[in-house]
Amino acid sequence: MRTLRMIVVGALLHAKQLSRSPFEIATALIVPVVQATLAVHLFRAGGDPGRLLEASVGAGLMGIWSSVLFGSGGAIQNQRWQGTLEMIMLAPRPPALVVLPITLATALTGTYAMVATLAWGRLLYGIPLAFAHPLAFAVAVPGCIIALGMFGLLLASTFVLLRNANALTNTLEYPIWLVSGMLVPVTALPGWTGPIAAVLPTTWGARAVREAATGSGPVWPSLGACLAISLACLALGAIMMTHVERRARAAATLALA
Amino acid sequence: MPALFRLIGVGGVIAYRALFNWTTPAMFVGTLLVGPLFQLLFFAYLGRQLGVADDGFYITGNAVLAASVACVFGGTMAVSNERRFGTLGHVLLSPRSRTAVFLGRVLPYAANGLLIAVTTMTAASLLLGLRVPVDALPGLLLALAVAALACGFFGLTLGAIGLRFRDVWLVSNVAVALLILLTGVNVPAAGLPTWMRVTGELLPITHAAEAARRLVAGDGFHAAAPQLAAELAIAIGYATLAATLLKLFEVESRRRASLDTL
Repeated sequence: MRTLRMIVVGALLHAKQLSRSPFEIATALIVPVVQATLAVHLFRAGGDPGRLLEASVGAGLMGIWSSVLFGSGGAIQNQRWQGTLEMIMLAPRPPALVVLPITLATALTGTYAMVATLAWGRLLYGIPLAFAHPLAFAVAVPGCIIALGMFGLLLASTFVLLRNANALTNTLEYPIWLVSGMLVPVTALPGWTGPIAAVLPTTWGARAVREAATGSGPVWPSLGACLAISLACLALGAIMMTHVERRARAAATLALA
Repeated sequence: MPALFRLIGVGGVIAYRALFNWTTPAMFVGTLLVGPLFQLLFFAYLGRQLGVADDGFYITGNAVLAASVACVFGGTMAVSNERRFGTLGHVLLSPRSRTAVFLGRVLPYAANGLLIAVTTMTAASLLLGLRVPVDALPGLLLALAVAALACGFFGLTLGAIGLRFRDVWLVSNVAVALLILLTGVNVPAAGLPTWMRVTGELLPITHAAEAARRLVAGDGFHAAAPQLAAELAIAIGYATLAATLLKLFEVESRRRASLDTL
């Protein structure tokens, strides 16, 4: 119970901290709306207006991923720049438990992307928010966000090993959008991308949210697969984070960029 | 005159190296070469699946767009990082033309953008199987170069705005996102509302992408020339705007003693 409380309070604290950055807020406010506009016009140009809800949902998922990717990728580095990394690592808790709230907070702020793209589509383009399974959609979106937050921990622990994590975060945005089928169906991609897509929680999360919105399939198995893979990522991330922390303490490199 | 060219050329290269001393080959390849290629593939597969346009449309358009990130952010950094690193005052104290100094900064970024655009176009053509007529290559190179230059001056304009407004990176991020939407690179211009189309006409890339598409289609240089001229005019327009804003904000910041106020 205390652990759960720590995660919730930590996630809210970091979400509040993110909300103090005008840059973060304005970027998060504007970029998803631009992406939603692009998706809507592309789907319209393709003569497929019946799938505009899918376009809005897909753009929202893209926004959530961007938030998790850049937030988690920069989680450790940001703490280092703020001078709080040592304090975080000194906390009498496993390092993964202290970093997890940060990655959850980035996913939480990414929720706005989904809300904004749906509202934008409804208000500006009159896209009816006729979800095939409204209840399942209301569960799938937060489920997907929590799952991506857990996946973020693995990213954060991996990126801390790399001196130039920025290069990886900048590179990973479009490939994950593409391979996870957020706008392009996975079946439209070359066959060799299938196994990569299958092990990514983003693929299953996007599938669950899309299935809830359009009724194109059973939501719960997809959401279950997304959460299961994310839990595996969480476990792997926790092991890596502990390893990295011990190594950094031994080598006295924790505060070094 | 040779001294002016030396100031523009050598000054630009030295500033480029100084401002990018933090970069590494991994960061360069990841951010500037691999990133745009995946962006291109994303839109090419999306366009294929929706039946919006063929691969050639997306490869050519996104190859031109590939230069934008490096050039727009580079142009912005050329001014804003001087202030961030505390060296803007030294530049403005220079007895030489600041207009020449700052306009010269754009040239290395534009060369960098050209390299990225060419690499993206080559890799995507090999991956997706686009055949470009050999006689179109010089014109295509020119189109990519003009687009890179226009993006660089567009970035410099944003950088000049950064002398006045605090959060210039926000402006750059939004500007790059808008370039993807408004320039007709991914959505055919006919599919965009009139106001978006008109706005796109005033932005870099729009005309260069159109010129590049005509060249790749084998229409010849004469068919692409009007669009190339329009892109060049856009580049000159943004260069003039950047120079004017830089001059204006320099005078203003001296008057108000707000040069180093972040």
